[in-house]
Amino acid sequence: MSARVTGGVRPAVVVALVRASILTAFQYRASFVAEMVVGALSALGMAAPLFLVYARVPQVQGWTLDQALLVTGFFLLYNAFVAGVVEPNLGAVVDGVRTGALDYFLIRPVDAQLLVSFRRVAPAALWELVGGVVILAVALGRLPTPTWAQVGLAAGLFFAGLGATYGLWLAVTCLSFWFVRVDNLRFLLGAITDAGRWPVSVYGRALRLVLTTVIPVGLVSSYPAMALLGRIDAGLVVGAVAAAVGSLVFSRLVLVRALRNYSSASS
Amino acid sequence: MIEVRGLTKTYRVPVRPPGLGGALRSLWSREHREVHAVADLSFTIRPGERVGFLGPTGAGKTTTLKMLSGLLYPSSGEVSVLGHVPQAREPAFLQQITLVMGQKQQLLWDLPAAESFELNRALYGVERAEFRRTLDELVAMLHAEPLLEKPVRNLSLGERMKCELIASLVHRPQVLFLDEPTIGLDVEMQVQVRQFVAELNRQTGATVLLTSHYMQDIAALTPRLLIIDQGRLRYDGSLDDLTRRVAPERRVVVQAVVPELEALGLVAHEGRMVATVPAAEANALLQRVLAVAPLVELGVEVPPLDEVIGRVFREGRA
Repeated sequence: MSARVTGGVRPAVVVALVRASILTAFQYRASFVAEMVVGALSALGMAAPLFLVYARVPQVQGWTLDQALLVTGFFLLYNAFVAGVVEPNLGAVVDGVRTGALDYFLIRPVDAQLLVSFRRVAPAALWELVGGVVILAVALGRLPTPTWAQVGLAAGLFFAGLGATYGLWLAVTCLSFWFVRVDNLRFLLGAITDAGRWPVSVYGRALRLVLTTVIPVGLVSSYPAMALLGRIDAGLVVGAVAAAVGSLVFSRLVLVRALRNYSSASS
Repeated sequence: MIEVRGLTKTYRVPVRPPGLGGALRSLWSREHREVHAVADLSFTIRPGERVGFLGPTGAGKTTTLKMLSGLLYPSSGEVSVLGHVPQAREPAFLQQITLVMGQKQQLLWDLPAAESFELNRALYGVERAEFRRTLDELVAMLHAEPLLEKPVRNLSLGERMKCELIASLVHRPQVLFLDEPTIGLDVEMQVQVRQFVAELNRQTGATVLLTSHYMQDIAALTPRLLIIDQGRLRYDGSLDDLTRRVAPERRVVVQAVVPELEALGLVAHEGRMVATVPAAEANALLQRVLAVAPLVELGVEVPPLDEVIGRVFREGRA
């Protein structure tokens, strides 16, 4: 029986879910303001190390400051997605498995993957989104203007990278259906993906391979930047798309298996 | 409607020796034990029936309900609800059922309950006009008007249960699985919930399968009773039948002490006289008592439900 996760995917459902999470975020004014401040600081902090490094050397492994800022910009956009959508939702799944709160997700006539992945959004991540856009705009303003084809390719690669990393997060989260507590595994994953803020070519060969395949955070930051700079080749593009499709399909299969294994919590 | 054949659910649970040493050892090698939560359960429920699911803690009631609503995969056996296999989780199936769990909550904790209703409206794709109508009806039946705009965290347990019920019913389900819907509620609120469920069943013809620890829920709400113990079905039938079979005696009680009645087998006790006789002989005894003492106030008592059910579990028969 593989139909376990199937269900309707209606736009109205997504709208209703987002609406409810924004209302919840607004419910507590002090906490909302604090989260917004933290979000803004974290967006600023993300770019700071770059300036420290480039104050000493003009370029690192063939990347100038402006070029490296492109990577940081994309990484901030990715981080906005993780902090704003992935973390709050998949974190809740782990709790839901432990407490049985997932019951009320699974009895809805809506795709289970949609519900567990997009049940809530954290509006504070908006700052990282804004920060990412600003950094990209500043860096692009100082670099030769890319062609529309390069912009399109960069956007495509960015979304492929998002898909690939989201799949990995989902698969890791699903482990909680078997092992119940996997929080530490998610923290570890969060720490490793932090490596994505630097261009992948600054890392050694082995680590570079890991960051573009096993933990594909390099795809989401370095590849789009390389596309904008005209440094990407067809092989990497095919690889990135394959990684995204593979990761999404694999994580869906893991989720289907995981739900079969769901034991709820007795009440 | 609801068909269950040979339904079985087995859990593998880790066994851990007690103490710190045991905890350390279980990090390396963990032993498992199989727990048969539900074993070879079979029954059929017709449309519109109200059925009570009764059993001691850990009997498998909740597990069965969760398999019927598609949350848990059965280990073996067949289940069909409204012609669907629940664990396939087809939208057409989920659209027609609901599950209310007295011990869990679906309402958005920080927001007024009205927001949870709106979210469920979207999840079930209910049209606004129809939603409005359904909501008005449910709110009126539960007298819940003043609760809708308060944040859920500020509601009392009973008020929250009213809102849980409304949230579970905005899509007008045909089958209601209620898992201990009255747990922890005060007596007054229990009565309101019971009346609501009975009224809903009468108005909409929805099928109700309810588990409860409170005998009053069962006595007031569900003409048919399924008793399970250790995952096995022990009894399926009406409450009256059960009482007749398990507790075939009646107590004839006279609200006075009349010495002449001792000859008929009545025993004086705390200002009353009592005789316990087989149910079939209760009427004859009443006649004889009236012949001896025509003016006494008298009655026939059935053993209380708690006692009847207790006997089923103790003696493992029904």
